[in-house]
Amino acid sequence: MINKNPYIPVPVEITKIIDEVDTHDIKTFRLVFLNKDDEANFKYLPGQFAELSIYGKGESPIGIASSPTEPGYVEFTVMRMGAVVPGTVTSALHDLDEGAKIGIRGPLGNSWPIEFLEKKNIVVVGGGFAFTTLRSLINYMLHKDNRKRFGDITVIYGARNPGLLLYKDELAAWEKRDDINSIITVDKGDEAWQGREGFVPAVCKEVAPSPKNSVALICGPPVMIKFTLPVFFELGFSKENILTSLEMRMKCGIGKCGRCNVGYKYVCSDGPVFSLGELDELPRDF
Amino acid sequence: MLKKISINKISELAAALMDKGLLLAPVKEISGYNFVEIKDPKQVDLDFHNTIASPKAAFFPHKEDFIKYETGKPIDTASVVALNLPPAFLFGARPCDVKSFEIMDIHFNASGIVDPFWKQRRETAVIFGYAFDLEKPAQPEEFYQTLGIGAADPEGSDVFMVKKGGDLLLNSVTPKGEKILAELKVLNEGKAADKKYYEEYIKKGKEYKTRSMCLEPGAITKKLEDLFYNTDFWTRVSSACISCGVCTFVCPTCYCFDICDDTLFAQGIRRRVWDACMFTDFTLEASGHNPRTHVYQRLRQKINHKYSYHVRKYGVISCVGCGRCTKHCPVNIDIYSLIEDAMKA
Repeated sequence: MINKNPYIPVPVEITKIIDEVDTHDIKTFRLVFLNKDDEANFKYLPGQFAELSIYGKGESPIGIASSPTEPGYVEFTVMRMGAVVPGTVTSALHDLDEGAKIGIRGPLGNSWPIEFLEKKNIVVVGGGFAFTTLRSLINYMLHKDNRKRFGDITVIYGARNPGLLLYKDELAAWEKRDDINSIITVDKGDEAWQGREGFVPAVCKEVAPSPKNSVALICGPPVMIKFTLPVFFELGFSKENILTSLEMRMKCGIGKCGRCNVGYKYVCSDGPVFSLGELDELPRDF
Repeated sequence: MLKKISINKISELAAALMDKGLLLAPVKEISGYNFVEIKDPKQVDLDFHNTIASPKAAFFPHKEDFIKYETGKPIDTASVVALNLPPAFLFGARPCDVKSFEIMDIHFNASGIVDPFWKQRRETAVIFGYAFDLEKPAQPEEFYQTLGIGAADPEGSDVFMVKKGGDLLLNSVTPKGEKILAELKVLNEGKAADKKYYEEYIKKGKEYKTRSMCLEPGAITKKLEDLFYNTDFWTRVSSACISCGVCTFVCPTCYCFDICDDTLFAQGIRRRVWDACMFTDFTLEASGHNPRTHVYQRLRQKINHKYSYHVRKYGVISCVGCGRCTKHCPVNIDIYSLIEDAMKA
């Protein structure tokens, strides 16, 4: 971040809003910087996040869903919160139309470790809404300039039902490509669903990706993670080769406000990406 | 450079400092002493042991405005609050509190992204440290000796002050301190006997007795790591805690803050305000998930942050033994005894 005062957001315009799911509570916002300098300063890698800012409402840390290989804009997929505690910022964001201007602070946090992933086979496992920064990584790896830097790419992505799958057009496009093995599953299909049915852990077991020279990146709801990890341990993946991205309540996003620590690490500045090996060193306080 | 002034004339020194900038000094308020911005030089009162709140607010105010805006107006009409600070004089800070600034510097100024507000406030301030009165015993809650901090340590101050009978001796510690002492015409030159008294006082300060135990940072860090999942221990030590957060607000090294939008009609300000890890919603996520719903988890977080996480991250214990948390805790939780208990557990 080059901005001298790290607490001040820069202005962006919402140029496109995509209603992602049947429940209409997850939208992808395409943001374009109002100032070219701000755009140039916003150099990010897949796995990073930013604070989306609406004056009068507050800020919310959201993972970047677009890939740095898509110049000119940056995308965030945001769920409207508020069922349990007030989702003030996400609700306000969902109420905005294309053309509205908001603020952004970032990019923040570490990223998926691109250098570590190079020359390796990549297994991406995602569940439900927790697929946004994984989508960023997949699109990054699939870019023509980058594809040869990585080995085989396997994507296992599941949602509760077909209407809850994110990025449906892209999923369809990946299925047509021969340089990515994309397996899409739903817990329960509907009448129109032609694809696979089954829970993510079971599908992982069935697909059985080889641990040889492979790294697994796993993001999803806690229950999915809980049952998926044993599958990967059984397949022979080491804790150093299983990566995930943590969430904690955040404010500053730069390791100063003391809110998002897990042990002596701050999720915002030391993370959000950690290997299971790294998490084993930290207390279970998240 | 050693100077002196009669304590009777302290308001003349205060007036001279006020001519040069903002003066923050101890003032007697209804419930005790506090550092406040001096409006009338006669307010300054050095007849105190220590203040209720730590002087951290000099560099990390309770409220720090970031941006002003009007709701509903385009985002680019918002204005960043400029921090054009006048020179400031923090007058009368005790050695343990001065030490806290060094600990906070590591976090705000010397690692990762620099906090521009902390940095600027530190740079524009001159610190007049003030030795504890060695003739009087330490307060029961104090334990700075445990943390290796003396009652008359000048390190970290720009000017260090010692009481000698009815006089106040002022010695420069840094070039910044030397410059200001040279400019203050209200001060008299210190004599050789004053110099000797000052130096002996500093030495004697090292032996000043507060509660003390052997506390090696590596050992307490390891002990707390081993103790993390001992829920019985944490439940026992936190059983009285009411999550009021006063321990964090009076603490010189607690720095957790919230960033919030305050609006009144169309006028809005985004600012940071002090926050406390003892509050139930501190880690409450929008999903409803909260990793620290129980009071024992929050007290465990606070103790670990000071005595374990901070050591792992920055190499120092984030406590100066001032004892304010103990003194002001409404349910008498004593951090010193808690650490003793932890070491024995």
